[in-house]
Amino acid sequence: MSPEVHRRNRLNVVLQMVTALITAILLGQLWLFTVTLDAMETPSASMTIVVAAALCSLVACSAVWVLIRFFLTTEQMETGDRS
Amino acid sequence: MGKLKMPSRWKHDFPVPHAEDSYVTRREFTRFLGLTSMAFFIGTLAAAGRKLVKQFFPHNSAAVEVADIHELPVGGHKLFRYPTENDPCILLRLSEDKFAAFDQRCTHLSCPVLFDAGKNQLVCPCHEGFFSAEDGRAVAGPPKRPLPQLQVTTRNARVLVASREEHLA
Repeated sequence: MSPEVHRRNRLNVVLQMVTALITAILLGQLWLFTVTLDAMETPSASMTIVVAAALCSLVACSAVWVLIRFFLTTEQMETGDRS
Repeated sequence: MGKLKMPSRWKHDFPVPHAEDSYVTRREFTRFLGLTSMAFFIGTLAAAGRKLVKQFFPHNSAAVEVADIHELPVGGHKLFRYPTENDPCILLRLSEDKFAAFDQRCTHLSCPVLFDAGKNQLVCPCHEGFFSAEDGRAVAGPPKRPLPQLQVTTRNARVLVASREEHLA
Protein backbone atom coordinates (compact mmCIF):
# COMPACT_ATOMS: atom_id res chain seq x y z
CA MET A 1 0.00 0.00 0.00
CA SER A 2 1.46 3.31 -1.05
CA PRO A 3 1.86 6.10 1.56
CA GLU A 4 -0.75 8.14 -0.31
CA VAL A 5 -3.39 5.38 -0.10
CA HIS A 6 -2.46 4.75 3.54
CA ARG A 7 -2.97 8.44 4.34
CA ARG A 8 -6.34 8.47 2.56
CA ASN A 9 -7.52 5.44 4.51
CA ARG A 10 -6.55 7.09 7.80
CA LEU A 11 -8.39 10.27 6.80
CA ASN A 12 -11.46 8.22 5.92
CA VAL A 13 -11.45 6.80 9.43
CA VAL A 14 -11.17 10.31 10.87
CA LEU A 15 -14.11 11.46 8.77
CA GLN A 16 -16.26 8.56 9.92
CA MET A 17 -15.39 9.29 13.55
CA VAL A 18 -16.30 12.95 13.11
CA THR A 19 -19.63 11.98 11.54
CA ALA A 20 -20.34 9.61 14.45
CA LEU A 21 -19.48 12.38 16.95
CA ILE A 22 -21.79 14.87 15.20
CA THR A 23 -24.61 12.30 15.21
CA ALA A 24 -24.09 11.73 18.96
CA ILE A 25 -24.22 15.49 19.60
CA LEU A 26 -27.44 15.73 17.56
CA LEU A 27 -29.02 13.00 19.69
CA GLY A 28 -28.01 14.98 22.79
CA GLN A 29 -29.61 18.10 21.31
CA LEU A 30 -32.80 16.16 20.62
CA TRP A 31 -32.87 15.10 24.28
CA LEU A 32 -32.32 18.71 25.42
CA PHE A 33 -35.21 19.79 23.17
CA THR A 34 -37.57 17.25 24.74
CA VAL A 35 -36.47 18.30 28.25
CA THR A 36 -37.23 21.95 27.40
CA LEU A 37 -40.63 21.07 25.91
CA ASP A 38 -41.50 19.10 29.03
CA ALA A 39 -40.44 22.02 31.26
CA MET A 40 -42.49 24.39 29.12
CA GLU A 41 -45.63 22.32 29.74
CA THR A 42 -44.95 21.90 33.47
CA PRO A 43 -45.66 25.10 35.43
CA SER A 44 -43.68 23.90 38.45
CA ALA A 45 -40.53 23.16 36.41
CA SER A 46 -37.52 25.27 37.30
CA MET A 47 -36.33 28.02 34.95
CA THR A 48 -32.75 26.91 35.65
CA ILE A 49 -33.39 23.68 33.74
CA VAL A 50 -34.73 25.56 30.72
CA VAL A 51 -31.87 28.09 30.64
CA ALA A 52 -29.26 25.35 31.12
CA ALA A 53 -30.80 23.26 28.32
CA ALA A 54 -30.83 26.24 25.93
CA LEU A 55 -27.18 27.05 26.74
CA CYS A 56 -26.11 23.41 26.31
CA SER A 57 -27.94 23.30 22.97
CA LEU A 58 -26.09 26.45 21.86
CA VAL A 59 -22.74 24.92 22.84
CA ALA A 60 -23.66 21.69 21.02
CA CYS A 61 -24.68 23.61 17.89
CA SER A 62 -21.37 25.51 17.91
CA ALA A 63 -19.48 22.24 18.39
CA VAL A 64 -21.28 20.71 15.41
CA TRP A 65 -20.32 23.64 13.16
CA VAL A 66 -16.67 23.48 14.35
CA LEU A 67 -16.64 19.74 13.63
CA ILE A 68 -18.16 20.31 10.19
CA ARG A 69 -15.43 22.85 9.36
CA PHE A 70 -12.86 20.30 10.51
CA PHE A 71 -14.64 17.65 8.44
CA LEU A 72 -14.59 19.77 5.27
CA THR A 73 -10.94 20.78 5.76
CA THR A 74 -9.97 17.16 6.23
CA GLU A 75 -11.97 16.13 3.19
CA GLN A 76 -10.15 18.73 1.11
CA MET A 77 -6.83 17.28 2.28
CA GLU A 78 -8.07 13.82 1.32
CA THR A 79 -9.45 14.59 -2.11
CA GLY A 80 -7.62 17.77 -3.02
CA ASP A 81 -11.00 19.06 -4.08
CA ARG A 82 -11.46 22.75 -3.30
CA SER A 83 -14.88 23.19 -4.81
CA MET B 1 -13.84 -26.12 -14.61
CA GLY B 2 -14.73 -22.51 -13.83
CA LYS B 3 -17.94 -21.75 -12.08
CA LEU B 4 -20.42 -20.10 -14.39
CA LYS B 5 -21.56 -16.82 -12.88
CA MET B 6 -25.30 -16.41 -13.35
CA PRO B 7 -27.08 -13.13 -12.63
CA SER B 8 -29.11 -13.29 -9.42
CA ARG B 9 -32.76 -13.97 -9.92
CA TRP B 10 -33.84 -11.14 -7.63
CA LYS B 11 -31.90 -8.69 -9.81
CA HIS B 12 -34.01 -9.82 -12.73
CA ASP B 13 -37.26 -9.52 -10.77
CA PHE B 14 -36.32 -6.29 -8.98
CA PRO B 15 -33.87 -4.42 -11.21
CA VAL B 16 -32.00 -1.51 -9.62
CA PRO B 17 -31.66 1.39 -12.05
CA HIS B 18 -28.28 2.65 -10.80
CA ALA B 19 -28.13 5.28 -13.52
CA GLU B 20 -31.22 6.94 -12.09
CA ASP B 21 -29.90 6.99 -8.50
CA SER B 22 -29.21 10.37 -6.96
CA TYR B 23 -26.20 10.24 -4.71
CA VAL B 24 -25.77 12.43 -1.63
CA THR B 25 -22.25 13.72 -1.25
CA ARG B 26 -20.57 13.85 2.13
CA ARG B 27 -20.62 17.64 1.98
CA GLU B 28 -24.37 17.68 1.42
CA PHE B 29 -24.83 15.25 4.28
CA THR B 30 -22.72 17.36 6.68
CA ARG B 31 -24.67 20.46 5.64
CA PHE B 32 -27.86 18.59 6.52
CA LEU B 33 -26.39 17.64 9.94
CA GLY B 34 -25.42 21.26 10.60
CA LEU B 35 -28.84 22.58 9.69
CA THR B 36 -30.49 19.89 11.84
CA SER B 37 -28.37 20.97 14.78
CA MET B 38 -29.37 24.59 14.22
CA ALA B 39 -33.05 23.59 14.00
CA PHE B 40 -32.79 21.77 17.35
CA PHE B 41 -31.18 24.84 18.92
CA ILE B 42 -33.85 27.18 17.53
CA GLY B 43 -36.59 24.81 18.77
CA THR B 44 -35.04 24.65 22.24
CA LEU B 45 -34.70 28.44 22.29
CA ALA B 46 -38.35 28.89 21.24
CA ALA B 47 -39.57 26.51 23.97
CA ALA B 48 -37.37 28.26 26.55
CA GLY B 49 -38.70 31.64 25.39
CA ARG B 50 -42.28 30.46 25.73
CA LYS B 51 -41.59 29.19 29.25
CA LEU B 52 -40.00 32.57 30.15
CA VAL B 53 -43.02 34.47 28.80
CA LYS B 54 -45.43 32.18 30.70
CA GLN B 55 -43.40 32.65 33.89
CA PHE B 56 -42.92 36.41 33.81
CA PHE B 57 -46.04 37.53 31.93
CA PRO B 58 -48.79 35.20 33.17
CA HIS B 59 -52.05 35.19 31.27
CA ASN B 60 -54.60 36.77 33.58
CA SER B 61 -58.22 36.03 32.86
CA ALA B 62 -61.00 37.53 34.88
CA ALA B 63 -62.73 35.34 37.45
CA VAL B 64 -66.00 33.91 36.21
CA GLU B 65 -69.03 32.41 37.89
CA VAL B 66 -69.46 28.81 36.81
CA ALA B 67 -72.08 27.29 39.11
CA ASP B 68 -74.55 27.76 41.90
CA ILE B 69 -73.39 26.10 45.10
CA HIS B 70 -76.69 24.22 45.38
CA GLU B 71 -76.65 22.74 41.89
CA LEU B 72 -73.59 20.60 42.71
CA PRO B 73 -74.06 17.80 45.27
CA VAL B 74 -71.02 16.46 47.15
CA GLY B 75 -69.21 14.13 44.72
CA GLY B 76 -70.76 15.91 41.76
CA HIS B 77 -69.08 17.72 38.93
CA LYS B 78 -69.81 20.30 36.27
CA LEU B 79 -68.14 20.93 32.94
CA PHE B 80 -67.41 24.45 31.81
CA ARG B 81 -65.05 26.32 29.51
CA TYR B 82 -62.41 28.72 30.76
CA PRO B 83 -60.80 31.08 29.84
CA THR B 84 -61.90 30.58 26.21
CA GLU B 85 -64.45 28.37 24.48
CA ASN B 86 -61.60 26.11 23.41
CA ASP B 87 -60.49 25.32 26.98
CA PRO B 88 -62.66 22.61 28.58
CA CYS B 89 -62.52 22.50 32.39
CA ILE B 90 -64.15 20.47 35.13
CA LEU B 91 -65.43 21.68 38.49
CA LEU B 92 -65.63 19.13 41.33
CA ARG B 93 -67.34 19.28 44.69
CA LEU B 94 -65.13 17.20 46.98
CA SER B 95 -66.91 17.90 50.26
CA GLU B 96 -69.52 20.19 51.72
CA ASP B 97 -67.25 23.24 51.54
CA LYS B 98 -64.44 22.07 49.27
CA PHE B 99 -64.34 22.61 45.51
CA ALA B 100 -61.62 22.03 42.94
CA ALA B 101 -61.37 22.88 39.26
CA PHE B 102 -58.98 21.57 36.63
CA ASP B 103 -58.25 21.76 32.95
CA GLN B 104 -60.15 18.76 31.57
CA ARG B 105 -57.48 17.82 29.03
CA CYS B 106 -55.27 14.93 30.09
CA THR B 107 -51.60 15.93 30.16
CA HIS B 108 -50.73 12.76 28.25
CA LEU B 109 -52.58 13.13 24.93
CA SER B 110 -55.34 15.66 25.74
CA CYS B 111 -58.25 13.24 26.11
CA PRO B 112 -60.97 14.63 28.41
CA VAL B 113 -60.69 13.33 31.99
CA LEU B 114 -63.75 12.14 33.95
CA PHE B 115 -64.45 12.38 37.67
CA ASP B 116 -64.64 9.16 39.69
CA ALA B 117 -66.13 10.32 42.99
CA GLY B 118 -65.77 6.87 44.60
CA LYS B 119 -61.99 6.88 44.18
CA ASN B 120 -61.71 10.66 44.45
CA GLN B 121 -59.75 10.63 41.20
CA LEU B 122 -59.94 12.05 37.72
CA VAL B 123 -59.67 9.28 35.17
CA CYS B 124 -58.53 9.47 31.57
CA PRO B 125 -60.36 6.63 29.79
CA CYS B 126 -58.14 6.73 26.69
CA HIS B 127 -54.97 5.30 28.25
CA GLU B 128 -55.95 4.64 31.88
CA GLY B 129 -54.39 7.75 33.38
CA PHE B 130 -55.34 8.71 36.94
CA PHE B 131 -55.07 12.09 38.67
CA SER B 132 -55.74 13.09 42.25
CA ALA B 133 -58.96 15.10 42.55
CA GLU B 134 -57.41 17.03 45.44
CA ASP B 135 -54.52 18.67 43.62
CA GLY B 136 -54.47 17.23 40.10
CA ARG B 137 -51.18 15.36 40.46
CA ALA B 138 -50.71 12.29 38.26
CA VAL B 139 -50.99 9.16 40.39
CA ALA B 140 -50.97 6.34 37.82
CA GLY B 141 -50.80 5.58 34.12
CA PRO B 142 -48.96 7.30 31.28
CA PRO B 143 -49.41 10.97 32.33
CA LYS B 144 -46.41 12.43 34.12
CA ARG B 145 -47.50 16.04 34.53
CA PRO B 146 -50.28 17.23 36.86
CA LEU B 147 -53.53 18.63 35.51
CA PRO B 148 -53.43 22.46 35.46
CA GLN B 149 -55.48 23.60 38.44
CA LEU B 150 -57.75 26.63 38.63
CA GLN B 151 -58.41 28.74 41.66
CA VAL B 152 -61.90 28.27 43.12
CA THR B 153 -63.76 30.42 45.66
CA THR B 154 -67.35 30.64 46.78
CA ARG B 155 -69.19 33.89 47.25
CA ASN B 156 -72.88 34.44 47.95
CA ALA B 157 -73.65 30.77 47.19
CA ARG B 158 -71.93 31.06 43.81
CA VAL B 159 -68.77 29.25 42.71
CA LEU B 160 -66.15 31.46 41.06
CA VAL B 161 -63.19 30.21 39.06
CA ALA B 162 -60.03 32.04 38.01
CA SER B 163 -56.60 31.20 36.69
CA ARG B 164 -54.01 30.42 39.36
CA GLU B 165 -52.30 33.78 38.90
CA GLU B 166 -55.53 35.75 39.22
CA HIS B 167 -56.42 36.80 42.76
CA LEU B 168 -60.06 36.57 43.70
CA ALA B 169 -60.44 39.60 45.90
